[in-house]
Amino acid sequence: MNRLTIAWRNIMRNHRRSLLTGGIVAFGFASFALAGGFMAQSFDGLRNNAIRGGLGHVQFADARAFDQSEESTLQFGIGHTGKVMAVLRANPAVDVVMPRVEFYGLVSAGGRSVPFAGIGVDPEAEARGSNIPKSVHQGQWLESKGRSVVIGGGLAKALKVGLGSNLTLLATTSDGTLNAIDVTVRGIADLSIKELSERYLALPLSIAQDLLSAPDTVSRISVMLKEPANEPGAATQLVEELKRAGVALGVKIWRELAVFYLQVRMLYLAIFGFMGAVLLVVVFLSTANATLMSVSERTREIGTLRALGARQRRITSSFILEGALLGLASSLAGAVLSLLITFAINISNIEMPPPPGSVKGFIVSVQIMPSVYLGAATAMMITLALASFFPARRAARASIVESLAHV
Amino acid sequence: MNATPLLSGRGLTKEYPMGAERVHALRGVDIDVYPGDFLALRGPSGSGKTTLINLLGLLDVPDQGLLRLEDRDTATLSENERADTRRDRFGFVFQSFNLIPVLTAAENVAYPMLLKASPPAAMQARAGELLAAVGLAGKEHVRPDLLSGGQRQRVAIARALANHPVIIFADEPTASLDSHTADTILDLMRQLNQERGVAFVLSTHDPRVVERAARVIALHDGAIEPGAA
Repeated sequence: MNRLTIAWRNIMRNHRRSLLTGGIVAFGFASFALAGGFMAQSFDGLRNNAIRGGLGHVQFADARAFDQSEESTLQFGIGHTGKVMAVLRANPAVDVVMPRVEFYGLVSAGGRSVPFAGIGVDPEAEARGSNIPKSVHQGQWLESKGRSVVIGGGLAKALKVGLGSNLTLLATTSDGTLNAIDVTVRGIADLSIKELSERYLALPLSIAQDLLSAPDTVSRISVMLKEPANEPGAATQLVEELKRAGVALGVKIWRELAVFYLQVRMLYLAIFGFMGAVLLVVVFLSTANATLMSVSERTREIGTLRALGARQRRITSSFILEGALLGLASSLAGAVLSLLITFAINISNIEMPPPPGSVKGFIVSVQIMPSVYLGAATAMMITLALASFFPARRAARASIVESLAHV
Repeated sequence: MNATPLLSGRGLTKEYPMGAERVHALRGVDIDVYPGDFLALRGPSGSGKTTLINLLGLLDVPDQGLLRLEDRDTATLSENERADTRRDRFGFVFQSFNLIPVLTAAENVAYPMLLKASPPAAMQARAGELLAAVGLAGKEHVRPDLLSGGQRQRVAIARALANHPVIIFADEPTASLDSHTADTILDLMRQLNQERGVAFVLSTHDPRVVERAARVIALHDGAIEPGAA
């Protein structure tokens, strides 16, 4: 006989009521676990999209480029790209180095002209470190040689062009004059963000540099790391190595640049926190009633225990232990329920409509998050312990004589 | 008796509110309980027997008067000290047995020892010994709801003896029992009183209790009847 055994027997004394209370807790636990798992999955997706959508794990640029807008093409461009790239590639922590030239221009085809957001890239590096090449659903991704481009589906639609169509790109060079080149559509990308899809145009880095009359110059360099966990440390090390090579560049890790990711994360966490608080209040109120009944029914027993020498604190702590134990047992049931529902959702391929600003839906997926399970179990145990605390403390402080006379 | 009393009450007074009025449950009672006593508090309903037992057993506090346990004024005891005193020095037997329904007979007996954090093996051994002493050997693992009224009261007596008390308070211990069982329980109490030297203070209207008592105090309207002690 120990206090845990006694607590468990008291829980099972009125098993129907305990089952109902436990059911409420298990449902609450499952709500926490599933919402947390869905959120974690969403964060992972957003993070992956941000990193592989162009940011990389670490990004290098002229320090001014991170804070100011360029007034002319490649105003804050990085020169001596070859030297910078060599330093970055030599670091063993670096997986892929992706130089990029970003610019704006006008693209014309068959009498139609549409503004575009151009990006000159190293096609092979992008294929390894970016998701954009995977989004090409018609034709193929870029190749290093040849005057070919990949455009967004929205831009192709606006220009009424398809694979193999000829386009003319017009842009302002770095010295302020206009330049134009002819290119061929090699691929059309299915980009989820509508505004990006209507403006996106990727071309090989060397062609972009030709168009902008800016040889050996890029806007920024994104770096994919082999071990992403230590982005700040790797960034600091790379900056030091660049300094030793005589190059001073600004550096940001992806989190500092992924404004959308951070906003969505904050929004999700606020919603989750609010829902969690509401859920805990509901669980508290639902279980408090059951606890109050349990304490009330055992008033004479409480008087007996106190007559036998149990201190008030012991009586209160016994009920708290019962609450916490019921919370733990119900959380275990809730964990099983959550795992079953998670499994069912993940194999069901439930497709959700496109989120705001996107053109593609997504498949609902839920992660199993041990930290959320642990947090939910702790929250449920504390909630039930609290629900037990107040009526138990009141009963423990009542007069022994009155408690013994309770019918 | 010439021995020093274990418990000594002087001028014990207790009032209870009843609606707008106050009921005088005890009106300045003087009482002593000695080691090895077998004292019956006799009187009709409302005479103050239970109130007096509650005060003597530190379940309640007097409005006026002095209650000393050996050489200590019980008014100076904190709430925790009162609980510890009940646990270590006193035992209680109730009219309705008041056993804990989720515990077995042996566990009920061991519960006061659990409050004292006694080692599990010692608790088990003592519970077995006490159940045997009250004639319930073999019933250690039976829950109270499967025991008869007499057996339940025996378990309650064994529980009261668990921590080697100096006094056991029994409030109407035979009121819920049939006549034959009541006789058996009273004989058991008297036997334990004589064999173990533990004092018993019993409140009762049962003449059989009075017959077996070494001393009888008659109460009426909250006061001791003159010449009754």
